[in-house]
Amino acid sequence: MEQKPTDLELIQKVLNGETDQYALLVKRHQRFVFTLALRFSKNREDAEEIAQDCFVKAYKALGTFKQTAKFSTWLYTITYTTAMTFLRKNRLDTTSIHDESTILQLENQTSSFNANCYERQDSHAFLNIAITQLLPDDAAIITLFYKGEQSLEEIGEALHMEPNTIKVKLHRARQRLKEKLQYLLKDEVKELL
Amino acid sequence: MNTIEQQLWDYIDGNLDDASKKAIEEKIESNTEIKSQYEDLLKLNLVFDGLDLDEPSMSFNRNVMESIALVPAPVAMKTKVDKKIIYGIGGFFVVSLLAILSYVFYNANLEMPQFDLKVNFDFNLEKYITSTAIYAFLFADLVIGLIFLDQFLRKKVAQK
Repeated sequence: MEQKPTDLELIQKVLNGETDQYALLVKRHQRFVFTLALRFSKNREDAEEIAQDCFVKAYKALGTFKQTAKFSTWLYTITYTTAMTFLRKNRLDTTSIHDESTILQLENQTSSFNANCYERQDSHAFLNIAITQLLPDDAAIITLFYKGEQSLEEIGEALHMEPNTIKVKLHRARQRLKEKLQYLLKDEVKELL
Repeated sequence: MNTIEQQLWDYIDGNLDDASKKAIEEKIESNTEIKSQYEDLLKLNLVFDGLDLDEPSMSFNRNVMESIALVPAPVAMKTKVDKKIIYGIGGFFVVSLLAILSYVFYNANLEMPQFDLKVNFDFNLEKYITSTAIYAFLFADLVIGLIFLDQFLRKKVAQK
């Protein structure tokens, strides 16, 4: 069985002129970059625009990538800055979930989600709904930690924060996510856990 | 903030040193409440681990490749300058300058000579303008001329 080329091997090929190899890198990381963008934008169309912009920026700057670090960490840093720039430009609604108006909105969403979720009895579905209700930073940290296989230091690098800050934020994000799950599932949460 | 819950999370994440790890293990073993909390967090951790990643549209990869087709291909940075080399060169020059200064000060006669206003204006130019000096001067002129000619020709080639 042929072994898949590593990120660094693919980058080297792209830098040597085989630009079509970049498609493999995009394919490998697109789900993660898109999910991360979605955590910030809360909107699929915007997330897709951010993710696309991020891959174009990464391509342009590929020659400056220091191959001593993980490509994914570098890519997530670009995703974070691209998302922040996009949010600033478009002034998207990223208000705190603690706002009164947002809570009302969330309650409405919850009632519509419940019907679907109870039918499927899928813990992943509940979790994905709960995570969309977190603050963007919290959702991004949870995603990077659990799905991005990133250490606290690497997450700190990607989000421009100190590892200790990330540690505290991760702890709070977990607590909030647990609360959201409890709110969504009510008594069913015990079955899930 | 260092609650028992945070300590338990640190234990689950593997962020504790040996001493703290041992201490929390003892707490889990001896306290049923903490043990139950630990087991709940372990389950919660498994649930978080099952988080799904969202999928972008089918055309995402194609869109990205179309966008980058308009961009010049990236090139690797040809020179990777190691900082140690720069510090090495810098250090060499500093040491050399210090050595020269030390030598000069060591050999210098720091006594002030008596100030003499008598200046000899009687120049004997023939003593300095020798045939060797003239040849050296002409040779330097020739070298400078060749440098200018080279630059001029290079510019012409570049313009073509």
